[in-house]
Amino acid sequence: MQTMLDDSLQSEVKRALLQSQTRRHFLRSLGGGLGTVFMGALATRFAQPAMAAGAETAALDFSRDPSTPLAPLPPQFPAKVRRVIYLHMAGAPSQLELFEYKPELKRLDGQDCPESFLAGKRFAFISGVPKLLGSQYPFHQAGESGHWISDRMPHIEQHLDDICFIKSMHTDQFNHAPAQLLVHTGNPRLGYPSFGSWVVYGLGTENQNLPGFIVLLSGGKNPDGGKQLWSSGFLPSVYQGVQCRSHGEPVLYLDNPPGVSRPLRRSMLDAIDQIDQQTYTAFGNPETVTRIAQYEMAFRMQLDASDAMDIHKEPDSVQAQYGAKPGEASFANNCLVARRLAERGVRFIQLYHWGWDSHGADAKEALNLGFNDRCREVDQPTAALLADLKSRGMLEDTLVVWGGEFGRTPMRENRGGQVMKYVGRDHNPGAFTIWLAGGGVKPGFAHGQTDEMGYEIVKDPVEIRDLHATMLYLLGFDHHRLNYRFQGLEQKLTSVKPARVVAEVLA
Amino acid sequence: MAQSLNPHSPRNIFTLLTLFAALLLPFLLIFLPPDGAQRAAWLQFIGRFHTLALHLPIAFILLVPVFELAGRHPRFSYLRSTAPLVLALAVAGAVIAAILGWCLARSGGFSGPLVSQHMWGATVFVWLAWLCWVARENAGRIRTAYPFALAAAVAAVTFTGYRGGQISFGEDHLTEFLPGLFASGNGAPDPDARDLNTFYGARIQPIFSDHCLSCHSAAKRKGGLQLTGFAALMRGGKHGAVVKAGDVRASELLRRTSLPRSDDDFMPKGKPSLSADQIKMIALWIEAGASGTAPLDSIKGASAIPAASNRVEINFPDADPAEVARNRSAISTAVARLRQQFPNLVDYDSRQSADLVINASLMGDKFGDNQLAAMAPIAAYVTSGDFSRTAITDKSAAVIGSMHRLRELRLMHTHAGDGMIQAMAALDQLESLSLFDTRVTPGALQNLAALPHLKHVYVGQTGIPAAARIPDSLKGKVQF
Repeated sequence: MQTMLDDSLQSEVKRALLQSQTRRHFLRSLGGGLGTVFMGALATRFAQPAMAAGAETAALDFSRDPSTPLAPLPPQFPAKVRRVIYLHMAGAPSQLELFEYKPELKRLDGQDCPESFLAGKRFAFISGVPKLLGSQYPFHQAGESGHWISDRMPHIEQHLDDICFIKSMHTDQFNHAPAQLLVHTGNPRLGYPSFGSWVVYGLGTENQNLPGFIVLLSGGKNPDGGKQLWSSGFLPSVYQGVQCRSHGEPVLYLDNPPGVSRPLRRSMLDAIDQIDQQTYTAFGNPETVTRIAQYEMAFRMQLDASDAMDIHKEPDSVQAQYGAKPGEASFANNCLVARRLAERGVRFIQLYHWGWDSHGADAKEALNLGFNDRCREVDQPTAALLADLKSRGMLEDTLVVWGGEFGRTPMRENRGGQVMKYVGRDHNPGAFTIWLAGGGVKPGFAHGQTDEMGYEIVKDPVEIRDLHATMLYLLGFDHHRLNYRFQGLEQKLTSVKPARVVAEVLA
Repeated sequence: MAQSLNPHSPRNIFTLLTLFAALLLPFLLIFLPPDGAQRAAWLQFIGRFHTLALHLPIAFILLVPVFELAGRHPRFSYLRSTAPLVLALAVAGAVIAAILGWCLARSGGFSGPLVSQHMWGATVFVWLAWLCWVARENAGRIRTAYPFALAAAVAAVTFTGYRGGQISFGEDHLTEFLPGLFASGNGAPDPDARDLNTFYGARIQPIFSDHCLSCHSAAKRKGGLQLTGFAALMRGGKHGAVVKAGDVRASELLRRTSLPRSDDDFMPKGKPSLSADQIKMIALWIEAGASGTAPLDSIKGASAIPAASNRVEINFPDADPAEVARNRSAISTAVARLRQQFPNLVDYDSRQSADLVINASLMGDKFGDNQLAAMAPIAAYVTSGDFSRTAITDKSAAVIGSMHRLRELRLMHTHAGDGMIQAMAALDQLESLSLFDTRVTPGALQNLAALPHLKHVYVGQTGIPAAARIPDSLKGKVQF
């Protein structure tokens, strides 16, 4: 029995060693080796010391004591932003009903869509020649900055001068799940770490009694991308987002069951830790350390998490400002929780809202019906969150991001070539609008421009990876340097295509 | 002096040789001027030694008046006998440096007024230095010219050296970092200043700035062409105008940039060609009359072309770890000790700096005046402090006041009162102060009025009502 175990262990180790020697390793050492030979020849020939060929910049060290994997680390550069509150509008809200004022489209409302809009394009549902669809809601200019905004977001409108729009976002995914994955992980496929995981990996978190990356859903439908959107991918799983329940207890089974006291819980954990430690010494799997750290965090969270998530503790006036109703699952409650978490040093707070997929296939997702409800659910709490952060000075070092995964077409959706009962728009990956507010970004500013129909970008396109690079810059990182070695590659959030920090939006 | 009558004395041979060189120089400058064209590598090789040689004549010629004047004192009279040797070295050095300088300039990449002034200055200096040498050795009337010639030589070398510095380090290399106190705010308007509201300034000049200035700058002017602005562009190069308004085909600039890269005339030489969009943009501008003042939106069809990259690119400078360690050396032990005592409370602002960030807010009321007092050894390095929800009181005012590099201070939900604010008079770096939910009163604002960098003061839920009178210097900065 013992030898069998040894054998299987040995073959395991052998396989692991083989796997760690990848094609990339081989090619790299091959190149380096040839380079060395060449430099050696040069050195003897000219009798002068050879320069170290291709001296790489030293990799940043993100290693930590295994018992405190979330320990804070300073950023690479002085950062403008210490935490992020990301408000993701799953389903892709229509920019043409909210922030993109297109009078020409309004003028051409109901006319046939020009051929040039359709040539070579793929749509989720549009077929044949659809009709152009002007904005369903009136626009006006507001704030000192004078940006155009529709009448659907009257509360956010009060903060127009704090907001920095990017109206030229571009993505290459036109279905929800891959597009959401791209927005959250920099990659449309499964298995990559989310933005929040990268940030917590790079910066850790100041409050060791709460997770560094907390996810809150507003009830309703889960985002199509699923829990992958806050997964840690190939990063150690201790960096994954911790989804807290928006309804009822925020974290299940956090309270001790009847008859179990805190000291009893402690001694139980000590025993489990000991066993886990032995396992770790024997096998060296970092996931064991993650397990230990998470048990310990859960123990500490017993005291802190309930307090942080409990919006009963906010005065009624504040609850009213957010439109929060304790006890239900809502975006409003989550915005208030987000502020409380931000105050408690949580690094990355990810909120999801749902139901923005305004195809017009039914009343819930019609631009003239369900869309209104979505706006109402989001508008007031988002504005209250901005106001709270601003009044406390926290908007200076918090980055608030609001946006979906792609945009919507200027054409009315005609599913099956028919005129539909409700009004809606199809997916448009070619152009969409997001906004940023807070530390390091220009307030009251709009970057990028789309054509007169809001269909394609004509000026300053911003790829998702550019947005990621910009956010990492604000957090104090060169996006090339926040990396993790996996499968022989220095993996990074912005992946392998060139990404650019959008300097134009930086304050 | 009998010696000087002997035509074969080394002294006379030196005099004649240097005279020949001094007379040769103007011929070189007039008939073989540097014109920006590239020439043989050996010329470049020799020329590069100019920057090495040039410091010697400067130092020698400056030593001569020192020796002459100091030598007047009996204690240093021996210095005067050394002066001729130093002077001879200065003459020889000046001749060598000048010839090397011509080699460098002629080898390519240099032309323009700065370069000619530098070269003529050097020539005059060689003549003056030679004159000093002859006058110093002459017993007759010419001897009286010596002090004047020497003064003139020093002046010439100063002028020449300054122009040389401008060529190498930029026209404002001496005044670039002149403290604001002395800088005169309003110089003459720059004829090449860029106006972003004009089509030229916003769409055309950025193309030149990105792709052409490494050769066609004010200092280099290859082919006599300078592309630093509209006026310079329209002056053209040594073969005449490069832009003909309204005529794309007759515009040399467009012809050369549209050539294939392999063509001898291709521009920008040795670099990637301009993009099709950029060439189209220039063509549209020339067709529309090549105006320097036409407004940004005046040219039809141009808005369809993506804007030229007048974009700022973010660079990521790498700090030298040794330097970071050096900057941190004064506090690193204190920081390590405090981090032991208060986990996750103190950290460096970034991996590259010695600035410190304190966040005590997570300790809540376990952090009070005594704990804050423990921060005293690092106080001078703290640039950001968050003491929200802690138990600190006005007793900590002195410690907060000693953190004189603080840029950001948060005292939300604390018992901080006006006493704390009074201690902030020395925090002249402070940019942001959050007093949300504290006990401060309207009187405290007066104490903050003089802080020069203060941009934001947050006074929500304090004793300061929204109707409070706000000192003029804080108007627009107070957030309720």
